[in-house]
Amino acid sequence: MKEYTQDTGQSPFEVHSRELFHESVDAVDMRMRSRLTQARHAALDAAAAAKRRPWLLRMGTWTPAAGVTAAALLGAVLWFGLPSGNHGVTAADSQPSLEDLDIVASSDEGAGDAFEMLQNDLDFYDFSDKAANSGPAA
Amino acid sequence: MPRFDTLARAWMVWDVPAPAPGGAVLDQTQELDRFLAEIERRAFRMAQAALRDPDDALDVVQDAMLKLARNYAARPSAEWRPLFYRILENGIRDLQRRRTVRKKFMVWLPGSNEDPDNQAQDPLDNVPDAGPDAPELMMRSQAMEQLEVSLRGLPARQRQAFMLRNFEGMDVAETAAAMGCSEGSVKTHYSRAVHTLREQLGEVW
Repeated sequence: MKEYTQDTGQSPFEVHSRELFHESVDAVDMRMRSRLTQARHAALDAAAAAKRRPWLLRMGTWTPAAGVTAAALLGAVLWFGLPSGNHGVTAADSQPSLEDLDIVASSDEGAGDAFEMLQNDLDFYDFSDKAANSGPAA
Repeated sequence: MPRFDTLARAWMVWDVPAPAPGGAVLDQTQELDRFLAEIERRAFRMAQAALRDPDDALDVVQDAMLKLARNYAARPSAEWRPLFYRILENGIRDLQRRRTVRKKFMVWLPGSNEDPDNQAQDPLDNVPDAGPDAPELMMRSQAMEQLEVSLRGLPARQRQAFMLRNFEGMDVAETAAAMGCSEGSVKTHYSRAVHTLREQLGEVW
């Protein structure tokens, strides 16, 4: 049996319990010793493998942080909603204007001078627009 | 500027430390191997004293070895022992917590009154083969069994302090580092543990 150094001032109880413990350590059976050796080798292999891996592949440790960040962002979006306000011009908004421009610019309807008319008779078109919006003429 | 065939090789070159003179990295691995080999059976017996089940104890020790090797192998070897026992104790407590939750859950299930943790263990299971001084061995084995039962009845901090100070032979400062508390707390926990154990076992021993 191994000799273990005893600290001075220890009670017989402490000395006895320590002796019993170390006897039980020496009595660990061969099967369990073998499994402990396997566990040690597995730990050393894992440490060596971790050391060999490039740092970018070690980002498994970052995964939880990335997940938490993504969840927080999603939660913030769901809680506060998307930023509201005036949105920009969409294709649907712009379609009527393009159609109007086509009409104005078209020269097929015998109105090749449509642009010229538009420039010359702005007052007339203004009046016409107001008359059309005010309802049927009496 | 060196050129690399692949990006991965470039990362590896940047990441791996420069080769140390005299194969220091190999020395470190060998040193860690020696440390774990020297400590593994005592750690196993301590875990078994706390958990009783040898397979659970082996799992906890293996997990502590893995965590130490993966995360702290590069630390100075003088720090390994308190780090290892701190990891080991965390593993023991995690397992005990899981057992507690499992027990609470199992109470509600029909036919689950037989908890394997509560099954009485036959002390003769741990008795070595009969030899010339078999009665003496049997008595000492039974005394150790009684000590383990009493240790399991202690508060976790007292049990930890007693095992590290008495079984592992760590000094107060090292025990405090392993337990994550002050040296004064270690002395208090240890003193209370010895007092309680002596009260319970003094007459028997």
